[in-house]
Amino acid sequence: MRIPFITMFVSSPFDGLQEHAEKVKECAWVFQRAIECIIEDRCEDFEHFRKDIDKLESEADAIKRRIRGHLPKGTLLAVDKFELFRYLGEQDKVLDVVEEGLDWLSFRAAAGIPEVLEKDFMLLVAAVMDPIEELSKMVAEARKYFSNFSEEQRVRVKDKIRDLRHYEHEADKLEDAVKEKIFNAIEDPVAVFHLIRLTEIIGSIADHAENAGDMMRAMVAK
Amino acid sequence: MGSEYTVLIIGYIFGFYMAWNIGANDVANSMASAVGARAITIRQAIFIAGILNIIGAVFIGSHVTQTIRKGIVSTDILTDPHMALIGALSALLAAALWVSFATWKSLPVSTTHSIVGAMIGFGIMAGGFSVINWGKLGAVVLSWVISPVFAMVLGFLMFKTIVKFILSKEDPFSQALKLAPYFISIALFVVILSFLFKTPLGKSLAIGTPLALLVALALAVALGFLAVKILRKFIKKTNLTGEEEVFRKIQIGTSCYVALAQGANDVANAIGPLAVIYFLVKTGSVGAKVPVPVFLLFFGGIGIACGIGMAGHRVMDTIGRKITTLTNTRGFSVDFAAATTVMVASKMGLPVSTTHAAVGGVMGVGLARGIDAVNFRIIFEIILYWILTVPAAAITSIVIFKILQLFI
Repeated sequence: MRIPFITMFVSSPFDGLQEHAEKVKECAWVFQRAIECIIEDRCEDFEHFRKDIDKLESEADAIKRRIRGHLPKGTLLAVDKFELFRYLGEQDKVLDVVEEGLDWLSFRAAAGIPEVLEKDFMLLVAAVMDPIEELSKMVAEARKYFSNFSEEQRVRVKDKIRDLRHYEHEADKLEDAVKEKIFNAIEDPVAVFHLIRLTEIIGSIADHAENAGDMMRAMVAK
Repeated sequence: MGSEYTVLIIGYIFGFYMAWNIGANDVANSMASAVGARAITIRQAIFIAGILNIIGAVFIGSHVTQTIRKGIVSTDILTDPHMALIGALSALLAAALWVSFATWKSLPVSTTHSIVGAMIGFGIMAGGFSVINWGKLGAVVLSWVISPVFAMVLGFLMFKTIVKFILSKEDPFSQALKLAPYFISIALFVVILSFLFKTPLGKSLAIGTPLALLVALALAVALGFLAVKILRKFIKKTNLTGEEEVFRKIQIGTSCYVALAQGANDVANAIGPLAVIYFLVKTGSVGAKVPVPVFLLFFGGIGIACGIGMAGHRVMDTIGRKITTLTNTRGFSVDFAAATTVMVASKMGLPVSTTHAAVGGVMGVGLARGIDAVNFRIIFEIILYWILTVPAAAITSIVIFKILQLFI
């Protein structure tokens, strides 16, 4: 049946964006549980967590590909297409970094995290969870903005972005503190290297979330 | 002349077939935004479209019927009644076949353009290229370009207005209720004007243009406010998106508006050539003007309604599943733009395509950033089939003309 009317409607990329943000959040939760597991010493399902993350990552990847692949040439969006792609890319990097963190941890899983640093790492991970949870809220608010274009809603999105920046800053401060503590508390250079790098990776989770926020800021710019 | 009655019967069959095609195809475009935005159910859409297409065809339809028939092809060719008979029949069949082919191949063609192309083919066969009124044809082609653009501009402006005055406000729900009378009044104004200018009833009143404008304005405003009074009774503020709820109710009205405009506009595509056949058989000759009997318009309307009834369900079902990004405020803007464009064009006697008007409306709303993602590439497809439809229908018409000449 000839329905030119239908061919005009392309499925909304915002659905996918939201879904992707949820996947990122799920991934971050798994990551947090994995870190907790390592810290608890008797970690038997660490590999299980890695597999989970792997699975989530490939699901998120599929969503990403679906969004990119289903916006044919000549599609007009409520936002700039490439801004959207860059946003998506940044959101996806959050996921990649989470995966990378877990991989890095697994290279020296037996050693785990020294007892003196356990609390610090817990705090650091908790600190980077905040921006990630904020991310999916931000996407939800942005969707609302793109449907009613009200200034009030725009302010709400901007508030979320500001919160994101704030959380990132907090995580940054914590990251620095943890690094300082690692250098002072740990003697073994291999352990120092491993832990410093781990701290950096965890810290960069928040960085990418903040970057995603900045891209969103560009999308909601008038 | 028994054979001429046979032709008339064949004419009826082809005319009905064409009307059926129109109904089956174009109902998607007129009801899509209402069904897509979940303003009405599939069953309601089919019912509304069927009934209002008939009403639109019978009461507003006559004007366009004549323009297509006599405007583009010179009436000189009609002096030979036999030739005219075969010509009208082949034009009808050619257009119907081309539309069927397009339906089968999922091509975005316009039933209006098909019949214009088929008429041209017949004209060339009967009197050579000189009988084609190229100036008039140019104007018609121009109207094909102008109508989607006009619908696009209307859709854009309407959605921007809704955003500015309703959606972006602190309390969009009460704002929507406050402004609803204006939106309804504007739509009613166009409908009442078409009724006044074009229906036999309106003509018998014989009121001048300024007075008609005044009457339409007063009536539209009065009815608009009355409609909102009724609206308020039926709408309860349920959740945050109360404004969408208001427009959901209004959209029931606008989808009626579209169906009415569609009936008025499209019935001519099936009935125009049939009217010529009918007149030739009844009177033996055909003049510059052929009055279109009301029962023929009714016949065309019924044909369209049958097409809607039989094929509509499947089409609507697809639409309901595929269009998920359209909300009621958007759907209203699309409906309003499409129907107003078709009404105005129909009033001016221009054969425009409802399909293209609806597409234009969606584009306008898309340009106003109202829809998450709109594929604009369809423009190129439509342009391609604009260019293809006329010669394709013309050639088909020529071939059928040649074949029919052998038998009749």
